[in-house]
Amino acid sequence: MKRWIGPLVAMVVCGIAAHFAVLHFTPGLIMDRTLSALKDRGIAEHAFTTPLRITPQTQAVVRTSPDLFYSLCRYDLSEEGSELSITMAEWPGYQSLSFFDADTNNFATIRGTGEAKNAYLITKRHPVGEDSHKILSPTSRGVVLIRRLAPTQELFDAAKEASVNDSCEWKAG
Amino acid sequence: MLKRLLRYGFGAVLGILVGGASALYLAGLWPGTEPLDFGNIEVDGWRSDFNIGSEAADPYTRTRVARHGLLGLAKSEAVYFTRTTDSSGEPLREACEYRLSGGAMPAEWWSITLYDADSKLPMNEDAALSVDATGVSGNSEDWSALISPKRPQQETYWISSRNAGTFDLTLRLYVPIRALLDAPEDTLKPPVVERLSCEGEAP
Repeated sequence: MKRWIGPLVAMVVCGIAAHFAVLHFTPGLIMDRTLSALKDRGIAEHAFTTPLRITPQTQAVVRTSPDLFYSLCRYDLSEEGSELSITMAEWPGYQSLSFFDADTNNFATIRGTGEAKNAYLITKRHPVGEDSHKILSPTSRGVVLIRRLAPTQELFDAAKEASVNDSCEWKAG
Repeated sequence: MLKRLLRYGFGAVLGILVGGASALYLAGLWPGTEPLDFGNIEVDGWRSDFNIGSEAADPYTRTRVARHGLLGLAKSEAVYFTRTTDSSGEPLREACEYRLSGGAMPAEWWSITLYDADSKLPMNEDAALSVDATGVSGNSEDWSALISPKRPQQETYWISSRNAGTFDLTLRLYVPIRALLDAPEDTLKPPVVERLSCEGEAP
């Protein structure tokens, strides 16, 4: 019996380590797969991609709402000093600009109902300008998402027209 | 010596398997588990976790949300409630018809959307995937909708469950009022899901 004490301890230690490793890495793995899937579906890096209206046939991400217009921009700020300049164009109804890191955290959201909003995304702290929001991304990769309330085809088409003035521009350091 | 190594190896492999599987089970990702029966808030059968989207979420919630609610917003912008059963506690399924009824909600905008067991919109072309505040604006204080696999002849509001199998409903509340975040049980009067009939059962 005594000879099994060591293996038993190894089992407990490995079990605890595996348990927390799975919890730690799974969100990042899922996000990584999602970023790849979005790339495969034509979602651009450093540009907002004009979306199709969410239907059972076009859904790319789980639990998307058919009542919202979603415009996505993938980003990669791994080059030192690089930043992302984002503009969410004016829209008369509800709209928001939300930021998700590579671990799935929604680390910032800016609401812009009835008005345009600008933001800058960085990976190191910079002084905040007077007319801009500089947001620190916890990871170098992630997704920026614009949501606009557009529950009808007519509103969706109007949101699509408004999105012509959205931008997601990468700038070298 | 070899036997001793084998014993340690066996213990380590067993530990890794049990540890990994238990993490997936507790996060609701193991096949057969109920991934949506989670959260620290329940209001009349609608469940939510206000830590969705935030770094404050525990690792189990983050893992579950990564699989079943990716790109969800933090609570200051939106909260999400989900229910998998009707008002009598039976699982929601395509073979039955339900009446969904409710009133005004404590948020700027709300919607209720039907998702299948894979957290996807059901694969049909009925263009009846949800009801929302703008759609019921004329009756926002007292509205009802039919959930059914067939288009109803008389109902104004309809959510199609065609090809949904076993499904759930997600209530989105955008720009929730502060009181909802502070005391959801006292503030939210969520919609009621009443089962009307099921295929093969006497009405």
